Amino acid sequence: MWPQRSPRSQSLAAKVIVSTVLLSFGVVWLTGSALYSQLSDGIKEVNLESSLADARSVFYNARYQFLLVEGATPTQIQTQVSDVIASSTSLGTTDGAREIILLKIFSKGDSAKNGQQPNYSFASNGLLATTIPEDLRSKLSKDFDLSHQFAPLTYRTGKTIDALYVGQRVSIPDSGRYEMYLVFTLANQGATLDLIKNSLLLTALVLLLLIALITWLVVRQVVKPVRDAARVASLFTQGDFTQRLQVESKDEIATLGNAFNEMATSIEAQIRRLENLSRVQQRFVSDVSHELRTPLTTLRMAADVIYGQRENFDPLIARSAELLLAQIDRFEKLLQDLLEVSRFDAEVAVLEPTDFELIALVRRCVADLGVVLDSPESQISVTAPGTPVHIRADFRRVERIMRNLISNALDHSDGKPIEITCVETLTEVAISVRDHGGGLEKASLIHVFDRFWREDPSRSRTRGGTGLGLSIALEDARLHNGELDAWGAPGEGANFVLTLPRIAGNEISGRPIPVDPHKRSEVKNGTI
Amino acid sequence: MTLVMVVDDDQDLAEMLGIVLTGAGIDVDLVSRGDEVMEVFRSNPPDLVLLDVMLPGLDGVEVCKLIRAESMVPIVMLSAKGDTQDIVMGLEAGADDYMVKPFKHPSELIARIRTRLRRTNADVRGLLTIGDLAIDVTAHEVRRGAKLIALTRLEFDLLVALAKEPGRVFTRDSLLSEVWGYRHSTDTRLVNVHVQRLRSKVEHDPEHPTIVITVRGVGYKAGVVGAL
Repeated sequence: MWPQRSPRSQSLAAKVIVSTVLLSFGVVWLTGSALYSQLSDGIKEVNLESSLADARSVFYNARYQFLLVEGATPTQIQTQVSDVIASSTSLGTTDGAREIILLKIFSKGDSAKNGQQPNYSFASNGLLATTIPEDLRSKLSKDFDLSHQFAPLTYRTGKTIDALYVGQRVSIPDSGRYEMYLVFTLANQGATLDLIKNSLLLTALVLLLLIALITWLVVRQVVKPVRDAARVASLFTQGDFTQRLQVESKDEIATLGNAFNEMATSIEAQIRRLENLSRVQQRFVSDVSHELRTPLTTLRMAADVIYGQRENFDPLIARSAELLLAQIDRFEKLLQDLLEVSRFDAEVAVLEPTDFELIALVRRCVADLGVVLDSPESQISVTAPGTPVHIRADFRRVERIMRNLISNALDHSDGKPIEITCVETLTEVAISVRDHGGGLEKASLIHVFDRFWREDPSRSRTRGGTGLGLSIALEDARLHNGELDAWGAPGEGANFVLTLPRIAGNEISGRPIPVDPHKRSEVKNGTI
Repeated sequence: MTLVMVVDDDQDLAEMLGIVLTGAGIDVDLVSRGDEVMEVFRSNPPDLVLLDVMLPGLDGVEVCKLIRAESMVPIVMLSAKGDTQDIVMGLEAGADDYMVKPFKHPSELIARIRTRLRRTNADVRGLLTIGDLAIDVTAHEVRRGAKLIALTRLEFDLLVALAKEPGRVFTRDSLLSEVWGYRHSTDTRLVNVHVQRLRSKVEHDPEHPTIVITVRGVGYKAGVVGAL
């Protein structure tokens, strides 16, 4: 029963860790992406500016060089174009590869002229003009200034790479106008950004792991006292009232611990007080027993001595001696019953089971009450199985139950016959005591087992019952795990059925004799 | 004349017991404190002791043990509590019988006392054997070989009752009536406790008895020599 790792506290820790990690993941993701986009934007901007500056100087140089060869021979112009192309790829500060495309613009409706002019179109690495974005080309046709656009660069091998296209129109003498493009590949920039991205991801991963670890440590710190509290509470529940929480800090957990300990102390004190009360009660019962019984013994002996001499007294004193003895008897019985009741109340009644034969006990109880059995005139008849009925029960208590039931029946029988029936099954035995006297009202049935209850308060107890007999009988039956049921109807008499397990303490599975005598015929294995 | 020592702290009850016993022709010695019992007991040895459980000075159960250490005199405990524990404690301390206050009839007390004073097996004479024990009923002696075994009168009577009818199985009820003189009592605790006390004195191994044998569900019978 050790709640070492109860699933609840386990899941609490897991829950806290999972939610903390998830939330941290969100925060890290947001800050990381913001950081990344800011960095990449910055890097792109710096790159763009330097690329545009490069392009500007390249185009400026190209225009200048082409002006120089105004009026020169085609060979000179050709050489100059080649020089410009060669210098264009190396001029400037930006690292990484750059490509150059020189594209002659054919003016419409001037085909004759177009055919005459030499064409100096060029593309490094054999790039195709189709790789140039159409938007940029149309922009170039409208604007004489520098234009640029980010677009993928496709090589003839099919390889594609992010690139910055910068273009401007230039004129080459004797050849017409050209579109000149510088293409800056962004491979370097991409590598830088990848590096940043990877570092960010790695940082995020490490951060999340650290957060998970820290959360686990913190949760453990919080959960451990909770687990301790649960363990101590469980021990407390099992009856170890000395258990307390150890309070070492001054935080909320300590407040919880202190509150728990205060509660435990208070409960312990309450229980000790109640235990003490119960002990005092039992002690009182025991003391009353001793204190009352001793004078009663003296009284009884004195009365007996006087009673023994009653022939020597005059009739009034002799009768008084008889009454005295009878009342001492009654007082004694009452005292005995009261003590028994208080034993049940104090829950100190103990079952002392032995093996015995039930029918003999019933017959002796009848005989003890002064009724002669087995004669045609006898008021009580006993119906029982032909074989002895052996049970394991508290002899004294079963005898007392039977005595109470039979004397109660005699009290209320109005002299009419009383039937005692015994039935046994494999697991239980039942004895019914049926009288045909005045009977009981339905409403009275629930009070029949009440202490000192009388159906008719004006009616006297002919046999000097104490008024506790049936109440004690019920407690006795229940102490065996048995049951005592009552039935009655006005004018039809009453029926009391005792059902006991064959072995005291076992469960009873049913009622071999139904308490309502009109249902008796339904029982198959009943009387013989 | 027979002398009974009445030990009870209640003066009135003691006096009343005195009146009743004297009326029955029995001399009475009254003692009111537990710690005074042994002094009186030694100076004027009684034939029987009526001993209350609750006593000032020294508890009745303790007094019972002290008496038993010196004498095999019959002891009848008087108890105001009907609780098993007190009764069993008294019997285990060496009491032969007990009576719960208030007594059903004073005559019942007298009858009990007379039973304890009388030889219950007055008809038996001479030598009996039970298991490997020899009982000299006349001399009131039990021997194993040459070794004398000391028994209280009640234990002796119990042993003789079993030994005189070797084949018979005695129910606890029949032992109660033959040894204790109860007409019909069902208090088998009395028998159980005394059988245990007897076994602890006469058996080789009380856990595996060969002298007083339990017949399950019925009672007891005498062990046979061959059974050893």
